[in-house]
Amino acid sequence: MNYDILVVGSGIGGMESSLKLGDMGYKVLLVEKEPSVGGKMILLSKVFPTLDCASCISTPKMAATQHHPNVDVMIYSEVEKIKRDGEGRFKVRVRKKPTFVKHSLCTGCRQCEMTCNVAVPDQYNFDLVARRAAHIAFPQAVPKKAVIERQGSSPCLFICPTGVKAHGYVALARTGKYDEAFKLVLEDTPLVGSLGRACFALCEGECTRGSLEGPVSIRRIKRFIADRYYQGHSEPEYKAPEEPNGKKVAIVGSGPAGLTAAFHLARKGYTVKIFEAAARPGGMLRLGIPSYRIPKDVVDRDIKNVTALGVEIETGVRVENLEDLKSQGFEAVFIAAGCQGPAKMGVPGEDLAGVLYGVDFLRRVNLGEAVPLGQRVAVIGGGNVAMDTARSALRLGAREVHVYCLEKEGELFASPEEVEAALHEGVKINHAKGVRSIIGDIPPQEVCPNTSEGTKGSVTGLVTIAVKSLFDENKRFNPTYIDGTEEEAAIDNIIISIGQRAELNFIGGLKQITGPGGRLAVNPDTLATPVPGVFAGGDVVTGPSLIVKAGGQGRRAAFFIDRYLRGEALEGAGFDYRLPVADKEQVIARQQSYKTSVPVEKKEILKEKPADFTEVELPLAEEEAQYSAGRCLDCGVCSQCQQCVATCPANAIDMGMKEETVETEVSSVIVSTGFKLFPADAKPQYGYKKFRNVITGMEMDRLLAPTRPYNTVLRPGDGKVPESIAFILCTGSRDQTVNNPLCSRVCCMYSLKHNQLIMGALPLADVTVYYIDIRAFSKGYEEFYQQTKGMGTNFVKGKVAKVEEKENGNLILHYEDIDNGGKLIQAEHDMVVLSVGLLPNREYMNLFAGEELEADDFFFVKETDEDLNPGKTSIDGVFVAGTASGARDIPDSILHAGAAAAQAAAHVERTRMLK
Amino acid sequence: MNDEVRDVREVIREEMLMRDKIVNILRNGSRTVPEIAQILGHPSYEVMYWVMGMRKYGYVSEIGEVTDEGYHKYKAVEKEGN
Repeated sequence: MNYDILVVGSGIGGMESSLKLGDMGYKVLLVEKEPSVGGKMILLSKVFPTLDCASCISTPKMAATQHHPNVDVMIYSEVEKIKRDGEGRFKVRVRKKPTFVKHSLCTGCRQCEMTCNVAVPDQYNFDLVARRAAHIAFPQAVPKKAVIERQGSSPCLFICPTGVKAHGYVALARTGKYDEAFKLVLEDTPLVGSLGRACFALCEGECTRGSLEGPVSIRRIKRFIADRYYQGHSEPEYKAPEEPNGKKVAIVGSGPAGLTAAFHLARKGYTVKIFEAAARPGGMLRLGIPSYRIPKDVVDRDIKNVTALGVEIETGVRVENLEDLKSQGFEAVFIAAGCQGPAKMGVPGEDLAGVLYGVDFLRRVNLGEAVPLGQRVAVIGGGNVAMDTARSALRLGAREVHVYCLEKEGELFASPEEVEAALHEGVKINHAKGVRSIIGDIPPQEVCPNTSEGTKGSVTGLVTIAVKSLFDENKRFNPTYIDGTEEEAAIDNIIISIGQRAELNFIGGLKQITGPGGRLAVNPDTLATPVPGVFAGGDVVTGPSLIVKAGGQGRRAAFFIDRYLRGEALEGAGFDYRLPVADKEQVIARQQSYKTSVPVEKKEILKEKPADFTEVELPLAEEEAQYSAGRCLDCGVCSQCQQCVATCPANAIDMGMKEETVETEVSSVIVSTGFKLFPADAKPQYGYKKFRNVITGMEMDRLLAPTRPYNTVLRPGDGKVPESIAFILCTGSRDQTVNNPLCSRVCCMYSLKHNQLIMGALPLADVTVYYIDIRAFSKGYEEFYQQTKGMGTNFVKGKVAKVEEKENGNLILHYEDIDNGGKLIQAEHDMVVLSVGLLPNREYMNLFAGEELEADDFFFVKETDEDLNPGKTSIDGVFVAGTASGARDIPDSILHAGAAAAQAAAHVERTRMLK
Repeated sequence: MNDEVRDVREVIREEMLMRDKIVNILRNGSRTVPEIAQILGHPSYEVMYWVMGMRKYGYVSEIGEVTDEGYHKYKAVEKEGN
């Protein structure tokens, strides 16, 4: 839709122009960057000199603007570009920022705001108090609709392959909402307890706090909330859906991918059966990770999160042929069989008795089978499985455990924590050592090559060789060795932990689903194999990976299997949309300073030669968990804790809402972008932002407003009711030291207004005004000044040189007392108000493309013919209204906006007549 | 008031962390901001942010009287919001 006139900015000037033009019958588009119309006037207490309530006289105009049949209001939107076309009209591009709340549904009930867990400074109260990420701008907002502030996805959340909303559960834990935090994690994964212990925590690697004192302990917070929840809930609180949808899905493998897929599919109403080859479910969670890292009861409880939904897990059954599953009524299959087979080294002696493979070894240990070991054990490999194997071997009684790895010190694939723990427990790590051969009590060439553990002869030793390099010139893994560095070590058992491979003996005739590396081939987006209805994910597709990545594949597979079974297209389905990741530098730059807040140290019971599989990592105590969560910087602002989604009675929250760009054409433009307040900290001698009881005039307006941030006028420093308040006029105006020679035109009068209102609110308070001269120039202003004097305000003619703070928060003003001979005097007050001036809002400078909207000498929009054509600018058809062209009080702004409206209307008509 | 002034955003963010602690203090009787600050071991201006944020969202409210020192006392209330 095209319009006659675009008005940029909906302060009192913009609203006035829009209403006048709308009343004349013109179609007006009013664009406002904030979530409400009203500008700054709606935030004032009262207006001078009439002392009318600002809200009372603003809100009718705001409502009229919003509901005017000829005025379309686009709030929370920014004009990106205005460009004149060849016919003299203007092409306009507007960016509609996502509010993440459907305004057609929002009732303005504020339930989202009340339940939100992220507190940020309230810019509509000039940072005197907090608001929430989900918020309605202020009580009289028009439209009274909520918006959710999101500045991208928090990095922790963005990186998580399983889609766990780390920021969300951290924010909930911070407020003590532990059950809600648990349930938030459970939304995305059933493996809350396991991930709380053994997740690789990619989130922590991305945590912005990591660039300060160290990342937030996100994983351990998850463990805390899982442990706490499980202690109180031995069984899940939910049951299987009462009315399943009648469709059956088979899942091969009960590891992280299979369990996660089953969980999500069952929640959608599918009848899910998992086929597990091992005797117990859990895949790598149970069979690959020793119980000193994940106790088996935690795995069991996590699995209950899945089976409670009616998922059947049949263990000890090996799927021999996928095609058979179809005949059993399964309409889709998800293969999540993992990588259960060991990778072999291919060195002489590998088939000797006493040679084991890490993945087999750990499986047997984790299933409680007896695995006899000798006194001296060598573990080959440098990954986490090798460390788990070595540490498990120690616990089984091996006197010496030596790890031989190809990598140099500090370059192991295993996580540094795992390596450190292994060393602490007594594992010896031999870096940059390859294995040349395994020695037995009979020559290797006589060993039967086809036996898995060997039947002829036993291990007696190992021959290693020093590594020269690991990668070739093409950076491919291709180790070379240094001849002549062979060493022999006496060893009783060798456990090879150099990798795992997929075992695909179940695919039957479906050879087309196999891919490179002996794994399954899938569409990486949909996880669909070339065979319709057969999906695959987890390690069997990716190769050995992380629990959290496998879980992510399970979640993805469930999404696409559901679409497949509902007959919907898989391509372009938009799984798991996330906002772009928040810029960490911008996050850090939001604060000028940071209190040092070190992470809670990880505590483990690590002892040399441990004799049992007791869990080594200690949980966070509640205080530690809350402290840790309190370190979160709320990178994306909204934490995505989903509390608003759950609370909103109108189902109005839409976290998937996206930014929109609207293009339109107009005949004329009115720039009504208002002003900026002088930043009071640019006068450091007055102590603003350093002394808490020094505030600005606008902050005093908020303290006096009916919707004030405090219960009354109080000192921000300690909540004391002030007894003596000083006003320093001309702060940042008429002041060459801050390059602003202009009079603000309002600070005298708004300060007088404050004086009168304070005397009403705090009858016992003394008020002193430090001024250069009082400029009471307009209708009724002088009378207002005299009235203020008569009410008892103490006027001191003198420029304040500096402000100092006393121990009790009182403030000492040093000033020149001009009326008494220019003496330098000190005076003590409870509170100081800096009556700041008005500065140009230069945002208009970027609005126009191809033409320059000229500025005056002070960077306000230049009126090229101010005397005869108020509002006319340097661009034909573009007009300026209100304080965008210079400091004005409210009546003058309204008058000026009316003039601009008339100018714009005349321009539209003139253009029409010319055509 | 010689405490080092912390960034407003950081202090306000901690409201969520301090809320239960402050409510627990006020359940044992109404307190002024400096009294709460003393118990928590935080500067009064920080507590002011937290108490006023909690007041805004209905966790605390002021009681009518002002102490001889010029402070309002605050009490814990059922969450109402305003």
